Amino acid sequence: MKVAVFLPELLRHLFKKPATVDYPFKKLTVPEGFRGTPFLHPDLCIACRACERDCPAEAIVITQESDVEKKFKMVIHNDRCIHCAQCVDSCPTNPVKAMDMDHLYELACFDRHTLKTEWVFTRATPKREPKPVPAAPASDRAGIPAK
Amino acid sequence: MAVLKTILYLLVYPGLLFLFVYGTFCEWFDRKVYARLQNRMGPTHTGRWGLLQPVADFFKLMAKEDIVPDAADKPLFTLLPIVGLAVVATAGLLMPLWNPFPEAAGLISFQGDIIVLLYLLSLPTLIAFLAGWSSTNIFSQIGGTRVLTMLFGYEVPLFMAVLSPAILANSWRIAEIGAFYRARPLLLLPNVIGFVVALICVQAKLERTPFDIPHAETEIVGGTFTEYSGKKLAFFRLMTDIELVVSSGLIAAIFLGGFGGSPILAFLQFVVKTLAVIFLLSLIRALTSRIRVDQVVAFAWKTMAPLAVLQLLIVIIIKGLLK
Amino acid sequence: MKFNIPIGPQHPALKEPISLRMTVEGEVIRDADLRLGYNHRGMEKLAEEKNWTQNIYLVERICGICSHSHATCYVQGVEKLMEIEPPKRGLYIRYLVSELERVHSHLLWLGVAGHEAGFDSFFMYTWRDREVVMDLLEMISGNRVHYAMNTLGGVRRDLDEIQIKKILDGLVVLRQRTEYYFKIGASEPTFVGRLAGVGYLSKEKAIALCACGPTARASGITADVRKDDPQAVYDEVPFDVCTADSCDVLGRTVVRIKELMESYKICEFLLRNLPAGDIAVKAPKKAKPNEVVSRYEAPRGENIHYIRSNGTERPERLKVRAPTLANYPATIEMLKNGFIADIPLIFAAIDPCICCAERTVELVNARSGEETVVRFGDLRKLAGERFAKSPVKRNAVWPF
Repeated sequence: MKVAVFLPELLRHLFKKPATVDYPFKKLTVPEGFRGTPFLHPDLCIACRACERDCPAEAIVITQESDVEKKFKMVIHNDRCIHCAQCVDSCPTNPVKAMDMDHLYELACFDRHTLKTEWVFTRATPKREPKPVPAAPASDRAGIPAK
Repeated sequence: MAVLKTILYLLVYPGLLFLFVYGTFCEWFDRKVYARLQNRMGPTHTGRWGLLQPVADFFKLMAKEDIVPDAADKPLFTLLPIVGLAVVATAGLLMPLWNPFPEAAGLISFQGDIIVLLYLLSLPTLIAFLAGWSSTNIFSQIGGTRVLTMLFGYEVPLFMAVLSPAILANSWRIAEIGAFYRARPLLLLPNVIGFVVALICVQAKLERTPFDIPHAETEIVGGTFTEYSGKKLAFFRLMTDIELVVSSGLIAAIFLGGFGGSPILAFLQFVVKTLAVIFLLSLIRALTSRIRVDQVVAFAWKTMAPLAVLQLLIVIIIKGLLK
Repeated sequence: MKFNIPIGPQHPALKEPISLRMTVEGEVIRDADLRLGYNHRGMEKLAEEKNWTQNIYLVERICGICSHSHATCYVQGVEKLMEIEPPKRGLYIRYLVSELERVHSHLLWLGVAGHEAGFDSFFMYTWRDREVVMDLLEMISGNRVHYAMNTLGGVRRDLDEIQIKKILDGLVVLRQRTEYYFKIGASEPTFVGRLAGVGYLSKEKAIALCACGPTARASGITADVRKDDPQAVYDEVPFDVCTADSCDVLGRTVVRIKELMESYKICEFLLRNLPAGDIAVKAPKKAKPNEVVSRYEAPRGENIHYIRSNGTERPERLKVRAPTLANYPATIEMLKNGFIADIPLIFAAIDPCICCAERTVELVNARSGEETVVRFGDLRKLAGERFAKSPVKRNAVWPF
């Protein structure tokens, strides 16, 4: 058994730059694809509520502003958000998703209510591609007419 | 006038104020070295390079709420931090530093001051035990018993190791021992074993890893000082800092040739030599993991004590040869 | 003189609340009692209120360190219920993240063991190198702790060539560092002196008390779900089950370091043989009425999820048995006749994840053994009353 096996490693680091970062003054960059906070592209949203249904933290609330106009309001409660990005996965808009994640990670604040973000928008009508011609009458789904 | 000078001597240099400033600086140095050895930054932001961090810690603790447990023995509980601080500050006065007031010299440097210094350095251990016992907390009590158990281990090797250079120098006065070795630097070499033993025992006395058993946080929370808070804890922390200065100063004075020459040169020597000793202490702290209290006692009596005896033998033989 | 030491619910050695009550004679532990229930969050009940997709993220949050283990265990089960087969590439990426998670968990544990033994330099260095694998995981999944890689029918993110290259480079660094730590851990005298012979658990006792994971493997039991009941890719991957015969904390350390080396091998194999193709198939919203038990070798041991569906889009029952719970009885056995100084080491050696194991709370009257249901308000009132009434404890009386 040897004595002081750690010594060379320790002395080697004495005059080396520390591995830690002087955090609030110097910041590390987050990698591409980092899941920060979710946000909405209001001009793309078709108000299908898929994100609202799949959000595990129930952080997304979509309400209709008035019945006549197709005006909707989406509120994201960032205090409840768990940054799983399931809303981005669930979003059906193509080819650009209406929900997206940014790279923010410093979200601490004194009042949780200030973490709410909201958008009021008119529902986007999805540009319909030419309908795929139904190849055969959908006989396997009884009772459901093929669109 | 002499009285005023004595008061200045006690309170400013090398009394409380100097010990406070230098003690906090040594704590900063220890923390910084420890951090850099671990590839971390250490104190960074309070003052230049974080120099004021220990001072800031001290004043912050002073401002904190001071809680005395209902079941504790209140007078003893309150008195102990003050007595502890006083004891180590008195020990600090015995350091053979540059003395601006020669009339006070008789008070602080005399034949046998090395023994007084060693005993004053033993007292904080007893105070830690009493602090642990009087706070009636189960963790404090375990810490207190561990303090005493450890004391029986390291105290004897420490005394033997520290006294062997004194035997060679034929003096019980720290300043004279230093002067003796400054005149004959080659004679420092036979004391190397004693230096190592003393270094390890001082590490145990200061309760630093691998001997931080009395306040091993993962086992017994705060150990002896579990119930202490606010001003009292601040005093205890200052006590530890000053103890670090005094014990590293003692080792520097005895094993590294003391501090001689002109006043400024002597002071510079003091700073460099104590910092060198503290660096070694920090290195030991970074190098080892905490051991159990039974392992401490076994280590002290099976390894340290024989080495200290060997050191004594070497010193006696060399002394015979010199004659 | 016998006396009791309470370790926890709040104690520096514990990262989460649990209560260990030690009966101590001098420095020697004579008896130990373990009380759970400080960290109950009602997750199983909550799971019944959420749909299959939402539950992935819920079970992921059972634990922070083995988040991928719980999510994978759950997803494996639900995929069986829904009768979908994830594509090969998706599976490879899923179990790649599993192995990377094992690497980060074991490195974390090594650091914790160093810290509990008072070896803070070791702690700092292992955690510094753990950053390498944490950064890799962040790059793959977009988050450092909750990777959220799993989805029903595959994984959510693909790997590209640059990422594969980065992971392979990271693995080289990690392997080198792990070999170094193996050297340190096996030869630093103060460290080995603290670990060797501590927390003895014989093979017979380990079997009798149903220990699992590295704790069991350090007692010489060759039990690993990855070998015994290979899920998905593990029957294609060459690797060894690591065991040790010393039955103590040193053995558990050795097993974990060996497992790190095996994990690097598995990761490299998975990356080099990554098949082309899709990463996920589309999963249905509902599952047919059925039940399934899913097993998964988490870094801490065998993780079991029992899932029952009733044809709706929500599970009827989700039961989680985390590995820590299986190791508690063995811990009591290990603690007996140890030293006070070894409590944190022995307890940390099972790599306890306390909130993983907190599934139910039962209020039992300690005197009569009666089980009761108490409302939260009443419980608070009761605690207040008890505190107001309790006398000052004087367990040491000063003689003046």
